Amino acid sequence: MTEAQNKVKVHVEKVNKSYGENHVLRDISIDIAANEVVVMIGPSGSGKSTFLRMLNQLETPDNGTIVVDGFDISDKSTDINKVRENIGMVFQNFNLFNNYTVLENIMLAPVELGKMDKAAAEKKARELLDVVNLADKADVSVNSLSGGQKQRIAIARALAMSPDVMLFDEPTSALDPEMVGDVLEVMKNLAGTGMTMIIVTHEMGFAKQVADRVVFFESGKIQESGTPEQIFNAPKNARLQEFLSKIMHA
Amino acid sequence: MFKKYLLGLVALVALLTFVPTAKAAEPHYIITTDATYAPFTFQDKNNNYVGIEQDTMAAVAKREGFTYTMRPMSFNSAAQLVSNGQADGIIAGMSITPERREVYDFSTPYYKTGVAWIVKKHSKIKSLADLKGQTVALKTGTAASEYGKSLQSKYGFKIKYFNDTDTMYNDVSVGNSAATFEDMPVIQYAIKNGMSLTVMNANNPGNAGSYGFAVEKGQNKALLASFNRGFAAIKKDGSYDKIVTKYLGAKQATFSGSKKDNSSILGILKSNQNALLKGLWQTIKLTVIAIVLASLWGVLLGVLGISEFKWVRGISTTIIYLFRGLPLMVLAFFIYIGLPGVTGIKIPAFTAGIITLILNEGAYTGAFVRGGFEAVDRGQMEAARSLGLPYGHAMRKVIMPQGLRIMVPSFINQFIITLKDTSILSAIGLLELTQTGTLIVARNSQGFRVWAIIAIIYLIVITLLTWLSNWVENKIK
Ligand SMILES: Nc1ncnc2c1ncn2[C@@H]1O[C@H](COP(=O)(O)OP(=O)(O)OP(=O)(O)O)[C@@H](O)[C@H]1O
Ligand SMILES: [Mg+2]
Repeated sequence: MTEAQNKVKVHVEKVNKSYGENHVLRDISIDIAANEVVVMIGPSGSGKSTFLRMLNQLETPDNGTIVVDGFDISDKSTDINKVRENIGMVFQNFNLFNNYTVLENIMLAPVELGKMDKAAAEKKARELLDVVNLADKADVSVNSLSGGQKQRIAIARALAMSPDVMLFDEPTSALDPEMVGDVLEVMKNLAGTGMTMIIVTHEMGFAKQVADRVVFFESGKIQESGTPEQIFNAPKNARLQEFLSKIMHA
Repeated sequence: MFKKYLLGLVALVALLTFVPTAKAAEPHYIITTDATYAPFTFQDKNNNYVGIEQDTMAAVAKREGFTYTMRPMSFNSAAQLVSNGQADGIIAGMSITPERREVYDFSTPYYKTGVAWIVKKHSKIKSLADLKGQTVALKTGTAASEYGKSLQSKYGFKIKYFNDTDTMYNDVSVGNSAATFEDMPVIQYAIKNGMSLTVMNANNPGNAGSYGFAVEKGQNKALLASFNRGFAAIKKDGSYDKIVTKYLGAKQATFSGSKKDNSSILGILKSNQNALLKGLWQTIKLTVIAIVLASLWGVLLGVLGISEFKWVRGISTTIIYLFRGLPLMVLAFFIYIGLPGVTGIKIPAFTAGIITLILNEGAYTGAFVRGGFEAVDRGQMEAARSLGLPYGHAMRKVIMPQGLRIMVPSFINQFIITLKDTSILSAIGLLELTQTGTLIVARNSQGFRVWAIIAIIYLIVITLLTWLSNWVENKIK
């Protein structure tokens, strides 16, 4: 691999996806570089989640090519589990494992997959709890946590596998407003460490602060993409302009 | 991995139901019978099988030097087990008919029978013609009642139906009905025991026929020959007549116990203590083994039912559909009576019962296990998979523990159903609690009291089982 290719963490080319008659993604192509923070915005139903979930094959594309970390995941012979180990995902609804404590949630994958022994996994889990400011919650049941706490644990759980790409699907949409800040804070710090991040969100202020690039989805297409300044201050696409005026006045 | 489970399951069933059989020099046969047919075969007050047939069989075996295991069950099962080679012979008040000769080889007849017509003592009715315009009492569903009905248009009598024999006899003896029809030996036995009735055609029974000992056609020639030789001998030296006199001559109480023993719940409990305990033990054994194995099988079906692979899910769905759709009794008959006829492999009734329960209860278990797994939020699986956990790991570590917790109440419910379903296995002759009750009632006619006792025993066991399950449930939490 050349130096230039190496820097491309995610390569998506001409990807299509339909649910029956519903053509959800249309000829999507995008390259995302290592260390880049990309924020995806767009109206509901435009295909943002579908796109994100395709990057770790929670959804399979109908056609096209997806290469993550040098692995062609649209190729059936690729061991998807190996690829997923390097792609962390954070869900809107947290999806913490209800049958485990906070610490166990974070330790489960590294131990189960033989990445670390129990002691090492626990040490790492406690470090990550420090990172998300929840060190005191190590041994509680996940059901006793608030939404904001749950989402920070979910981030810690994803980080426990030391991924080099993190996917976020509306990580703050299910939270009470006063919780949103804590989660965004953690994500901002993560971006500061050079993590490659792809984030679907409606938090425009956060996008402006953190994003290297903002991508606007509409009707299953990338209508426009660019720096936050370009997208928010000088939108060219008419639908993007309409979308922005709607949320600004919401 | 599933193969290993399956193999273990099969081995466990085999182990649990393995009965060591003693090797004897004498030939050993399995004989079936119907133990609700006094005075031919019934249980006495000590819960031993007695009656004309039982004593005859014992006498013949002794003379001919063979041994046998007597298997009491319903008449139909008893007959079918012989016709498909699972048992060697049947002695169960089986009339020798041309149709049956197609399937069985019969011994020389051991008892002449036929339908009697009966009036009260000192009745003015002297012939069937006198019945014109009179009422005749018949018991629903019996061969004797069929015979009586066939004479109705010829003699112009009215028919009144009864559900039990005692009421029917009483209706005739008090003069409400003019006459009744009944099997000859059965009515003779009742008259000996004090019914004030008179048989009008003792020397000329309707639909006259004979009972014979039978083996599968073309098979067991040695056994049949033995029976004929032995029977001829005991007939000649008078011991057969003694047997008949013993049963037809003796008071019913000799066999069924004193009135006191049978007319109170406590008395019945006391005199049948051993039989009830044995029946209960059999029920518990069936229940426990079935619960354990059906749960394992059900969980396996449930896991297959949410497999990644469509064809695996298909297998699970098909098995569940099939065995939930089949009535338990049909399944039991199919396994116990149907299959061996084709495969030639004899299956002990207990094993057949356990397999039946595993398949039936396992299918229900499989359905709710699959449902329980599916009820776990999809996000749990997605989160696990997104971390790189393979499907199997995600199932075992995340989905199954949560699913099983949801299912605990369903499991307890299924355990109770399993316990109750064991009673259906009485149909294949398993001497569990229900069959024990059937035999006791056949002897002492105390249906209300006996079934009340049986019902209460079931309720007690179910209560204990529920307590135990709840205790385990709390432990899990
Ligand atoms: N599993 C599915 N089966 C059928 N249709 C689906 C499925 N998942 C998504 N869709 C449809 O695909 C389209 C895109 O959905 P997607 O969730 O990607 O949108 P989104 O941009 O994330 O919207 P939102 O902001 O509401 O989350 C929608 O019309 C949705 O109804
Ligand atoms: Mg979405």
